Amino acid sequence: MTLALTVGVLVAGAAYLLQRRELLRVILGFVLLSHAVNLLLMAAGGTDRRGEPLGTDPDPLVTGDPLPQAFVLTAIVIAFAITIYLLVLAVTGSRSEAAGTVAPGDDDDPHPDDLDTDQHRTGQHQTEQYRTDDHRTVGEGSTP
Amino acid sequence: MSLGLAIGGAWALVAAAPLLTRVLGRRAGWLLAACLLGLTALVVSARSTGDVQAEYAWMPTIGVSLRLRLDGLSFLFALVVLVVGALVLVYSSSYVRTRTSGFFTLMTGFVAAMLLLVLADDLVVLFVAWELTTLCSYLLVLRSGSRAGAPATRVLLVTAAGGLSLLGAVAVMVVRTGTTHLTAVLEHPAWQQDPTFAGTVAVLVAFAAMTKSAQMPFHSWLPDAMVAPAPVSAYLHAAAMVKAGIFLLMLLAPGASASALWTPLLLTVGLTTSVVGGLFALQRTDLKELLAYSTVSQLGLLVAVIGVGTSGAMLAASVHVVAHALFKSAAFMSVGLIETRTGSRDIRELRGLWRAMPGDSLMLVLTAASMAALPPLLGFVSKELVLDAMLHSPAGAVTGWVTALVVTAGAVLTVAYSLRMLVTTLPGPAAQVTPWRTTVPMSLAIGTAAVGGLVLGLAVPLLDAVAAPAAAVAAGVPVADVYPLALWHGLNAALALSAVAILGGVGLTVARHRVDRVLVGRALLPFTGAQVVQRCYEGAIALGRRVGDVTRSDQPAAHLALPLAGVGAAGVLVAMLWQGVPAGSTQPLDVALLAALALGVVIVARAGSRLTSVIAVGVVGFAVVLWFLVLGASDVALTQLLVEILTVVVMVLVLRRMPPRFAPEPRRRHVGSLVISVAAGVAATLATLTFTGHRGLSQVGEFFLREAKTLTGGTNVVNTILVDFRALDTLGELVVLAIGALAVTALLDARPAAPRADVALLDSPVADPHRNALFLQVLDRALVPVMLAASLYALLRGHNAPGGGFIAALVGAAALVLAYLAAPTDAVSRLERPFLSIAGAGVVVAVGTGLLGLLDGSFLRPLHVDVLGLHLTSALLFDVGVYLAVLGVVLAAIHRLGLSPSDDARREADADADWRAVEDEEVGAR
Repeated sequence: MTLALTVGVLVAGAAYLLQRRELLRVILGFVLLSHAVNLLLMAAGGTDRRGEPLGTDPDPLVTGDPLPQAFVLTAIVIAFAITIYLLVLAVTGSRSEAAGTVAPGDDDDPHPDDLDTDQHRTGQHQTEQYRTDDHRTVGEGSTP
Repeated sequence: MSLGLAIGGAWALVAAAPLLTRVLGRRAGWLLAACLLGLTALVVSARSTGDVQAEYAWMPTIGVSLRLRLDGLSFLFALVVLVVGALVLVYSSSYVRTRTSGFFTLMTGFVAAMLLLVLADDLVVLFVAWELTTLCSYLLVLRSGSRAGAPATRVLLVTAAGGLSLLGAVAVMVVRTGTTHLTAVLEHPAWQQDPTFAGTVAVLVAFAAMTKSAQMPFHSWLPDAMVAPAPVSAYLHAAAMVKAGIFLLMLLAPGASASALWTPLLLTVGLTTSVVGGLFALQRTDLKELLAYSTVSQLGLLVAVIGVGTSGAMLAASVHVVAHALFKSAAFMSVGLIETRTGSRDIRELRGLWRAMPGDSLMLVLTAASMAALPPLLGFVSKELVLDAMLHSPAGAVTGWVTALVVTAGAVLTVAYSLRMLVTTLPGPAAQVTPWRTTVPMSLAIGTAAVGGLVLGLAVPLLDAVAAPAAAVAAGVPVADVYPLALWHGLNAALALSAVAILGGVGLTVARHRVDRVLVGRALLPFTGAQVVQRCYEGAIALGRRVGDVTRSDQPAAHLALPLAGVGAAGVLVAMLWQGVPAGSTQPLDVALLAALALGVVIVARAGSRLTSVIAVGVVGFAVVLWFLVLGASDVALTQLLVEILTVVVMVLVLRRMPPRFAPEPRRRHVGSLVISVAAGVAATLATLTFTGHRGLSQVGEFFLREAKTLTGGTNVVNTILVDFRALDTLGELVVLAIGALAVTALLDARPAAPRADVALLDSPVADPHRNALFLQVLDRALVPVMLAASLYALLRGHNAPGGGFIAALVGAAALVLAYLAAPTDAVSRLERPFLSIAGAGVVVAVGTGLLGLLDGSFLRPLHVDVLGLHLTSALLFDVGVYLAVLGVVLAAIHRLGLSPSDDARREADADADWRAVEDEEVGAR
């Protein structure tokens, strides 16, 4: 019963965060959601048998189901890798890199990928990037 | 056996073509042509020795195998494909200019695909070969120049649409008859018993064939494809690929003709195409376009005569396939030669070809005569047969005469446009011709095809052995029922109609100026086929954009609200399945954990500061760790604990690049999402209570608990599942981790991360990086070696006690992260590790261990060895792979996100320098 409530609380928190504008909050929502799903998997193994599946001859009457545990173990690591990836996305997105947010009023913009939003960046960074591009152009032009 | 050899040989040729062209250049065409003739000999010997079936296992579980068979029909088409293919390759050895390697590879690829198509005795193989021909044609058109993009796309779209139709037909046939074996499918009684089935297949197959064989209204791709070079047009768009549709119709006619739709559909479409195609051809002044529409028209004639379906009609179709392949490929090759020598292929510009190139002109005359069905050429024989078949149509004398007269009308136009190719271009003073490397191969190929039409016309009984069995198969009658071929059939109605056609055509040619005034440059229809296809194509894309507009938003909420509301609504459904709270023991600690966790969730949701929310998520994470622990999952708890620590580190690195506080949001948004969230949470709780905890230990779980020690020698059951029982899952997961490392790196390479906000610190010891890091540096020196040792220990003991690759790697990563954090500045960070190589090595080690398992009969089966009383298993090696993959992804994140903006700039400068160095090297090499 408590485990089910825990899952419910986590899902509610995750659902709330996933609906926020801030990418970091969305990512935290994802983390909570992965916790919820992992605990749900553990619940599938049952909460009345709580012995550890270790040793030469574990007693099936009191030992926890090892299969959900194995699933959850790998799920944790995968979720971790995806969280890292999402965090990287949060700091490299085209319009949100400086603010970490989605700018308000973007709902109607049909071309979210347009690069002209780069002007949100700090001036220094922008010049750096253009400099790099120029070098490459010159390099290509000078190749016979 | 020979058939398998022929198919294998053809594909081996495709593989060898790039190498051959590299060594021999254009001359590889000769060698490839010789090889095709060798394959022809193989097929002929297979036919004569009766070695006409082969079967190789392909997808045994669904009953699909690589079945091949060589009956009369496939023999005829195999000969056309191989012999014309050889001629065209010889021609190409002189014709092609640049990028020969790709050209020869694709051409031989097309030969191989076509051969597979005609020999296939399995519907799935047939479909695959059909699509391969489409693909080769698309690529061959596409590579023929910068203007070829749009036409190539249209070619692909139209022919691929036909492919989908064929797929539908194949699916219907397989489902209804229960087999993919083509011979068995055609013998199935369902064709006669089930008119709906026969009708569906007939329409789908007819549609597929009509797109492939360029029938109205799908003909537009063929003139479009004329941007391709002459050999491609001669082979794909005259002799082979467009004949695939004809082959399909003849192949499935024994079954599909049971439908009442078959004959009217094919006759209407075929005859219309034949006449309208002829009219279009008469309008053209570009020789290649003229020939393209002529092909459309001739294919229409073939479709119509197949629709008649009698053995005489199928004989006519078989002979006309050969005649058309010869004269049309020769015509296309001639036009290619003329264009190469004179620089033009426009009737209005070409003059005096006879004096300039008499031999080639003679061949063009022979070709045009065969096309115009003048005696004694093969085209005449086949046209006679077609007229005769129409007149003896089983549909009755009236239909027979009407169709025969329409064919005659088409024939008038054919004669007119065939003569039109000659009357103005040949006479006159010798044309200016530019020298070209040897044209002998071109003239040889054209001559062989053109003279072939003459010889086979004069000695047409030679064709009996090939055409009659093909007709018998297509008509579903014994070979003996097909009457023999002859040049002269006596004075009959068909001959009279032929004479009318020739006279009419000559008449139109004499009055050609008047005809030209009526036809040339005038649009017969208010639109062209290409425009229609283009319009449909653009319309489909516009429609897709309109559909996409509904969901095109940057707001995560816009995409998530609906599914989340769905989750909430699912709660109602779950409530209907309610079976009471499961009997699970609740312990006091559980309640405490729930309380701590709920508190954490509320703080995360309410926090205005980013750091607060990250810390609160950490609190939730630790509560979850304890949950795992009280549930008896110590391995899982350990993993979660380490992941929590590392997640916080990575998040902090990201936080440096974001403003410290979240932007405020309007209140009304909170209320709506709060309602949805609570609904989702309630649904999740109800679902957990309903779907879990109502049964005892799962059978699988019990099996693992009982047998793990016996089967794997390990006593940590969870670990044995990961590295032994379900190692394939784990392999998939560690590949995901390696991809994660790759993706993080690629993403940060493509778009640099947002610059780090410079936090102004007070002038205190904390502000000085060196003094600030002192505490951690001391810890680092003491702890890192211990942690690395612990990591190794966890890895080694994982099979028998809590530990294993995941946990060990996370401990190791934590040690390296500590070392990183202890460094006073990013610049002197000691984390310059080749993280991508590490992650890649993980995958390699894991896969290698898996392959080692093959020694014991199965991928990923662990091997067990006892060395000096110590039990060793290759599962440990697999765990090393897991270890490396996990380490790789953590290092990638720390290293790439840990860089400060100044480091970013330095790195970019380095990359720039590398780029220049590479370029200098390239320049130097040249």
